[in-house]
Amino acid sequence: MTIWKYECKRLLWNKFFCGFVLIVLFYGWQVLSSVTILGVSHTAPFSPWSFGDYLCRMIPLLWMGTLLLLTFFTSGKARRVGALTDAAPVAPRRYALARCAAALTGALALALGCILQAAVFYGWYFDWYGWGTLALPALLSLLPVLMFALGSGWVLGQIRPWLLYVWMLAPVVCRVLPLPGALGIWSGAFFSGYPLTLENLDPAWSVPAGVLAAQCGLLAVGAALLAVRPVCAKRSQAG
Amino acid sequence: MKAVRLFALEFGRLLHDRLAWCVLLLTALAPAAGLWLYQPATASTMLSLYLANPAIAGGVGGGILFGLLTVWELDRVHRSRADALIDAAVSPRTMAWVRLLALLLAAVLAAVLAMLVWLPVSRWRIGAVFNSADYALAYVLLMGLALPLAILAAAAAYQFTRRADLSLALFAAFAALSLTVWADDWQLCWLNPCVWALSDDFSNLRIFRSVAWMRLTWLAALAGVWAASCLCIRQYGKGLLGSLAHSARRVYRPAIALLLAGGAVAAYVAQPFTDQSNPDQTAMTFYEIPYAQDVVCTGRSAQVFPDTAAGSLSGTASYRFQNTSGQEQTVAFGINPGYTVCRVQADGVDVPFSVGAYQEYNEALLETTLPAGEQVELTIEYGGFPQESRNMATMQGGKEISDAYLCLENSVLSPRLMNVQPGPDGYPATIEITLPGSMTAIPFGNSVAEVVAEHSDGTKTWRYTDNGTGGILYAGDYICEEIQAGGLTIAFYYGRKHQPVMEAAGAAGAVREVVEYCTAHYGPLPFGADGTLKLVQSRVAGGGYATNGASLLDEADFTAENLGDTGKGGAAGEVMIHELVHQWWGLGNMFDTAGADSAWSAEGLTVYTTYRIVKALYGAGYAQEQYVDRWRQAVADYNLDFYVRNPDYLAGLPEEKQLEITGNLAYVRQYCEMPLKILKAEQLVGGEEQMDAILRALFNRELDPSYPYLTEQDFLDACGLTQEELNLDDDLEI
Repeated sequence: MTIWKYECKRLLWNKFFCGFVLIVLFYGWQVLSSVTILGVSHTAPFSPWSFGDYLCRMIPLLWMGTLLLLTFFTSGKARRVGALTDAAPVAPRRYALARCAAALTGALALALGCILQAAVFYGWYFDWYGWGTLALPALLSLLPVLMFALGSGWVLGQIRPWLLYVWMLAPVVCRVLPLPGALGIWSGAFFSGYPLTLENLDPAWSVPAGVLAAQCGLLAVGAALLAVRPVCAKRSQAG
Repeated sequence: MKAVRLFALEFGRLLHDRLAWCVLLLTALAPAAGLWLYQPATASTMLSLYLANPAIAGGVGGGILFGLLTVWELDRVHRSRADALIDAAVSPRTMAWVRLLALLLAAVLAAVLAMLVWLPVSRWRIGAVFNSADYALAYVLLMGLALPLAILAAAAAYQFTRRADLSLALFAAFAALSLTVWADDWQLCWLNPCVWALSDDFSNLRIFRSVAWMRLTWLAALAGVWAASCLCIRQYGKGLLGSLAHSARRVYRPAIALLLAGGAVAAYVAQPFTDQSNPDQTAMTFYEIPYAQDVVCTGRSAQVFPDTAAGSLSGTASYRFQNTSGQEQTVAFGINPGYTVCRVQADGVDVPFSVGAYQEYNEALLETTLPAGEQVELTIEYGGFPQESRNMATMQGGKEISDAYLCLENSVLSPRLMNVQPGPDGYPATIEITLPGSMTAIPFGNSVAEVVAEHSDGTKTWRYTDNGTGGILYAGDYICEEIQAGGLTIAFYYGRKHQPVMEAAGAAGAVREVVEYCTAHYGPLPFGADGTLKLVQSRVAGGGYATNGASLLDEADFTAENLGDTGKGGAAGEVMIHELVHQWWGLGNMFDTAGADSAWSAEGLTVYTTYRIVKALYGAGYAQEQYVDRWRQAVADYNLDFYVRNPDYLAGLPEEKQLEITGNLAYVRQYCEMPLKILKAEQLVGGEEQMDAILRALFNRELDPSYPYLTEQDFLDACGLTQEELNLDDDLEI
């Protein structure tokens, strides 16, 4: 807990994080006021679908932010102090997990910034405050993505720190590639396309099994990568 | 001298960097993305497809790559912890300059490399309409200038934050904004300029000027931001604020940054390309100006002098008035908002005038005082760079004035009289325009222009007569082909460069078929007293219009790309069909201005007839897919639109957003809902033959001179139907 608190302070209480939050908020407001305001797939701008579309548009930036948080642990400077931190009286696996938890906290804080901004936007323009309906799309869109970013980034950062920077382009590439429907959240097509396939107007929030499975899979893979790597690190340390 | 030597060293070092070479080569290859992946120019002209798109994609790809390279290079010293050493040897600000210039030179190299690599490819793909000047301008403006902007943005971000991660995030957000939410704002999309089309047959200087302005605005803005960031370069172990305070002690440094930023803001605000027209496309306040009492206009004339090098125009317009009111009167004119009125004289004496700030439909209001004399000649001297409507800012290029092409529409040609009744002969007008010798003047209407003077500088003065308060003039290197069809002689004007494509496309045959179809189904045109009709090819415009005796044909109707596209069938030229059909619906039969809640207008019958012609010429399957299915989809989308279903929420939005949404919706009602209703009427009256007979009877009906318009009720009565019967079912099955 102490390590987590310390790492949180290190990751979140600095110029980078404050600057990044400002960037995310500026970009988010531009998206909300130019795109989301029109609503997607004939639904209200404050429908779970339009909100999900907004979050999908924010994913590349949140993904980048998560990976940049990880660079705090993989940068040359961090590696140079590695000998000291490794000497801490705590199991390396627990130490690594605390660090990942801190990075996840940072990523979730960024995501929360986006969500709060949308809530303010909806209240401001539409006098709408039914935030409860937005919880599921937020969880489905962001949690797997951020967890996968964290897990995959953690592994890549351990292999080669510069791979984190290359990996930042992944969501942008996904937007261009013709991905299958199950990965619609990654291609940006799910929230704008799926409601049109539903029979009724203003459809309630629902998720096809494929998308749910893909997101759960990503969440699991992300978590697994977080769990696996510290063990490997321990082995290599022991070796 | 030291800085020069450092620059040579830094540039040499950059050229030894594998990453820099990688960026250089990838930038040179980036235009390939414009051929497949990223195609913002949507027109089907060859230059749009094989020059604009690759160049813009090259700018986007190269800009992003150079932005990343900049952050990488600027962070190099800090990364290797050599900054203390380097700073001790060279001033950090000098090094910032040196690195910036080295990167800029590398960007120049990359752009030149891209131009050389893509020259043969472009020449091959574009074919006969390839033009070296367009190629060079496109690669410099659409691609080349994106690179220094990206370098300046990334460098400024790094110098402010001195963190590679934050700089990357800033740069990524800045680029993403340009590519997404700013993409439709021609002044903000710094990375991917708003170019929707380049003309194959005529010049593209207007749109290139617009892009150049946007680039230079951003160049000034980012140079200012970079100059400000230079003040924040860390030195003497100080932080951001300490370094800023130290650097700002020399006042000229922040002054330069402020000057550049101020210049950028001024360039943004005072841009000369688009006007401030009311975004409400239904506003018609200029038409509500009351007519001057006891004043008539007995004639007008204008001498117009386009400056084809500057893309501007100057002119003198004279109006002859008969003022029997015995008192002064205020006369109103519509004038292009880009023009300046230098002087207004009544019978040779200066009179006061004012140009209002309010603008509507690409016109500003010029008001002047007409003296009390019975016969008064009012002379207006005007000129300037014509502006386009801000409501069409993403489709700039129409107000081209060059030595290859010009299009002067209504108040761009001369001030349009708005509140004075015509004399007994209407508004007889004599227009003179002086053009380069290679250009042919084509009045858009029944008039014919002729050369009245040839000048020693190679220019010619053309003169034609007209009747009306406005008027449109085209000029360019045109050739004319005469076509006989439907009892008419059609003067078909198209650009000389377009001749092979027109011949290969059988454009003359297509025109003949359309006119004969309409004549056979609805009857001959009533106003073609002299039996002639002009069909004029315009520079790529994304649409067209028609007036008595003339219709427009968009350059993109017949392109080499369309000819080679077997999937498109033979159905190129649909804008031409639409505008020719307007000779019957809209001009042969007139329609009153549609009310805000009505979908009835000339467009409904015109789009329906276009569909019928396309069905007859190119097959029922194609017509069903390209017309009926699309109308259904658009109307279904309209009916389902959230704001249509919940107008209360629309009312709560900012006014500009409301107008944007309602403008799109009005289009759907006129161009999709009404044709679909007419198609339903066709089925209810018994089929196509019966509908043709009804429309023929409507077209040839006796007109009421006091209200000669064809109304929706006339149509319903002729069909024996009610409005309710034409309502579209929820599933839009008809």
